[in-house]
Amino acid sequence: MKMGTLHDTAEEKQEATQTSLVVPGGSKIIPLAERLHSETELKTLLREVIDLKAALDEHAIVAITDPQGRITYVNEKFCAISKYSREELLGQDHRLINSGIHPPEFIRHLWATISSGEVWHGEIKNRAKDGSFYWVETTIVPFLNDHGTPRQYVAIRADITARKKAEAAAAQLAAIVESSDDAIVGKDLNGIVTSWNAGAEKMFGYRAAEMTGESIRRLIPPERHDEETHILRQIRRGVCVRHFETVRLRQDGTSLNVSVTVSAIRDSGGKIIGASKVARDVTDEKRISESLAASELRYRRLFETAQDGILIVDAQTGMVANVNPSLITTLGVSHEQFLAKPIWELGLFNDVWATEKEFTELKDKRVRYEHLPLQTRDGRRIEVEFVSNVYLVNGAKVIQCNIRDVTARRQAEEALQQLNASLEQRVLDRTLQLESANRELEAFSYSVSHDLRAPVRAISGFSRIVREDHSAALEAEGLRYLGLVEKSALQMGQLIDDLLTFSRTGRQALRVRTVSTTDVVNACLADLQASNTDRRMVISVGELPDCEADCSLLRQVWFNLLENAFKYTQKCDPAVITIGARQEAGGNSYFVQDNGAGFDMKYADKLFGVFQRLHLAEEYEGTGVGLALVRRILQRHGGRVWTEAKPNEGATFHFALTGGPDAG
Amino acid sequence: MPVDYGEADILLVEDNPTDLELTLRVFKKHQLANRIEVARDGVEALDLLFGRGAPPERGSIRIPKVILLDLKLPKIGGLEVLRRIKSDARTRTIPVVVLTSSQEEQDLVRSYQLGVNSYIVKPVNFDQFTDCLRQIGIYWLFCNAPLNIDVA
Repeated sequence: MKMGTLHDTAEEKQEATQTSLVVPGGSKIIPLAERLHSETELKTLLREVIDLKAALDEHAIVAITDPQGRITYVNEKFCAISKYSREELLGQDHRLINSGIHPPEFIRHLWATISSGEVWHGEIKNRAKDGSFYWVETTIVPFLNDHGTPRQYVAIRADITARKKAEAAAAQLAAIVESSDDAIVGKDLNGIVTSWNAGAEKMFGYRAAEMTGESIRRLIPPERHDEETHILRQIRRGVCVRHFETVRLRQDGTSLNVSVTVSAIRDSGGKIIGASKVARDVTDEKRISESLAASELRYRRLFETAQDGILIVDAQTGMVANVNPSLITTLGVSHEQFLAKPIWELGLFNDVWATEKEFTELKDKRVRYEHLPLQTRDGRRIEVEFVSNVYLVNGAKVIQCNIRDVTARRQAEEALQQLNASLEQRVLDRTLQLESANRELEAFSYSVSHDLRAPVRAISGFSRIVREDHSAALEAEGLRYLGLVEKSALQMGQLIDDLLTFSRTGRQALRVRTVSTTDVVNACLADLQASNTDRRMVISVGELPDCEADCSLLRQVWFNLLENAFKYTQKCDPAVITIGARQEAGGNSYFVQDNGAGFDMKYADKLFGVFQRLHLAEEYEGTGVGLALVRRILQRHGGRVWTEAKPNEGATFHFALTGGPDAG
Repeated sequence: MPVDYGEADILLVEDNPTDLELTLRVFKKHQLANRIEVARDGVEALDLLFGRGAPPERGSIRIPKVILLDLKLPKIGGLEVLRRIKSDARTRTIPVVVLTSSQEEQDLVRSYQLGVNSYIVKPVNFDQFTDCLRQIGIYWLFCNAPLNIDVA
C-alpha cells in the first residue's frame, strides 16, 4: 500500500519516467523511461521495485518525511530501533528521536543540504523511546518536484551503534595510553618498537618518531641485554612478565629504576606477534622504600639493643605486639610468653594493670611510676621506672611502655645515704673528740696559768729577797748570776703570759662590731711612741677605713704589727713606718711597712709559728708569739696575713679581715 | 686552832707555801697588817669562818677586815669557799679579794657572779707583785670603811 511513497500519483509516475532515481553519489542507476514500454514491462518493473523495497527494508532503517519534516513512512526496522510504534511515529517530525547531542549547526547544515536538493550523508545519534541511544549512519535523499524544490525526503539508515561503541572504547583506550605517566610501548618479537606513548617519551627522553622501528635494546644497559633476550623468550611462550624491577637508560645516558610488565600481543588468529611493555619509573619509590627500610632498620636496632625494656601493647586488645630483648632478659619471660595473653593476665604488671577494667581505664593515659616493684620469673624483686605513652599507628592506638631497671640505682642511692649517715656519725665522733681535746687543752692552760706562774714568781721573788737581804754575803760574780736568774725568771713569766694569751685567743668568743681602725691605730701608736721618745721616726698614717671585728683582738693585731715595726727599726735613723689601707676584691686590706731589718722571704712561712724567731734575742727581744697571735686572730675573723720583705730592706705586713682559708 | 678571829685584819687563804711566804713578807715589811690568819685550803678557810663541824651558833663568827682568797685550793676550791661566804648572811658583808694566778675568763665571770669584791691576778714579776699587795693592804685596811654593825 505504501509503495506509493516512491510514486504517489499518476502524474508522479509520469514524472518518474522522466526522472531518475538518484542514489548517493548522484549516479543514475535505473534508466526508467527506457524500460516503460509495456504493461508487462511495467508489471515486471513493479515487481522489481517491490523486491528492491523488501530487500531494502531487510537491510536498512527507512523513513520518509514530507518537506516540513513530518514523518510519512517508517519501516519495521525504524520502529524496532526507535522502540516507537508506527502510529506513534507517523505525523511526528524527527525531533521525537533527537538525542540532543548534535549542535544546532549540525541540524541546520543537514536541512540546508537536503532542502537545496543535495543528498546528505552522516552519522546521527538518536534517542529511542526508552531513553537509550543509538547511532545510525544516515543517507537522506531529497525528491524534487517540477519546481526543483523537495517533495519528500527518503532517509535510509544503518545501525552503527556497536561500531560507535567500539570506536569510543578504542578512543578511550588510546587516550588512556596517551595520558599515562607509565611508558607503554609496543614491540615485535624481535624487540623492534612499534608504538611509543607520551609517557615513554617523557620517561626515556626519545620521541615516538625516534624510537618507532628501532630496537628496544637502546634503552637497556649493555650489561642487562640478556634480560631482553629472556623477556622475549618468555613472551614467545605466551608467558607474561610482571613487575620486573630493573634499570633502563634515558636518552641523556642517565639511568632510572623501572618496574616492567610485559604481555604478549596476539593477532586475531591468536598468534603471538609482539609484546606490550608497561614501564613504571620507580626511582622515587625505590629511594623512599630504601630510606624506609634504613629507618626501620635503625629503629629496630634501637629497639633491640636498648638498655631500657620496651613493650608495645595493642590498646584495643591489650595484647603485647612486641617486646624487646632487654625486657625479656630483665623479667625472664620469653617473647612467646609475652605475646600469649592480654597484658593484665601476664601477672607482670599488677601494680599498673591488674585487670582488663584497669587496663581500659588507663589505656588512654600516660602512666609514670618512679619506683615500681616488679617480680621477675625467677623470683627476684626488682624496681623499675615505668613510663607508658599512647599513640596512633595507622589509625590504631598502641601503648608503648619504657621500663628501666633502677634496682642498681636505688641500691647505690641507699648505699650513698648510708655512707652519708656514717659520715655524719664520723663527723660527730670527730667533733666530740675535738671538743674533748679542746677541753684537755683548756685544762692544760689553766694549770699552766696557775702552776707555772707560781714557781716563776717564787724564783723572781726569792732572788729579789736574796739581793735585798743577803747581797753583802755575795761577791760580784754571785750578784751577776743572781741578776741572770732574775732576768730569766722575768723572761719565763713573759713567755707564759704570751702563751696563755695565744691559747685564750683561740677559744674566746668573738664580739664583732664596727671598729674605727684609725682610733685603734692611733691608740697603739701613742702607747708605743711613749716608750720610744728618744728615737727619730717618720710615721705616716694613710686613710684607714673602719672594719667589722672584735675590737680588743683587732687592737692586739695592730699593736703587735706596729710593735714589730718599732722593734725592727730600732737601728734605723730615721725609722720610717708607713701605715695604710688598700681596696681589694673581697674588701679592704691594711698594711704596716717599715725600713727595718727585714728578713729573707724563704723563712716567711716560719714567721707566723709560735715561738718562731728569725733574729737573735740579743739583737731583738721577743718571745716569738706576736705574729702567731696576729695570724690566729685574723684566722678567727676569716681573714689572712701576708708579708713582703728583704733582709735589711724592711718588711711590709699586710692583713685583711676577709678571704682567709677559714672564711665563710 | 683557838684564834681570836675578831682581832684578825686579814684572812689569807693560800695553799702555795712560797706565795704564802712572799705575801706575808710583803705585808710584814710594809707594816700593813699586824694579824694575818692563814688557811691552807678551802676546808680550813670555812672552818675558820664558821667553826668546825655543824653550822655554828650565831655570834661565833669572827669577821676579818678582808679575805684574800686563792682560787686553786686543795679539798674545797676557792670559788666554792666564795659561794659559801657570799650565800651566808653572817659572812656576806666581808670584803673578799680573789688573789689568783688564773687569768681565765670563766674564773673571773664566776667570781663576780658570786659577789666577789675584787679580782686580782698575781703578777709574776716580784716588783709588781709587791706593789700589788701593798696597794691591796692600804686600800682594804686603811681606805675602805668596813661594815661593823651586824646586819644579819
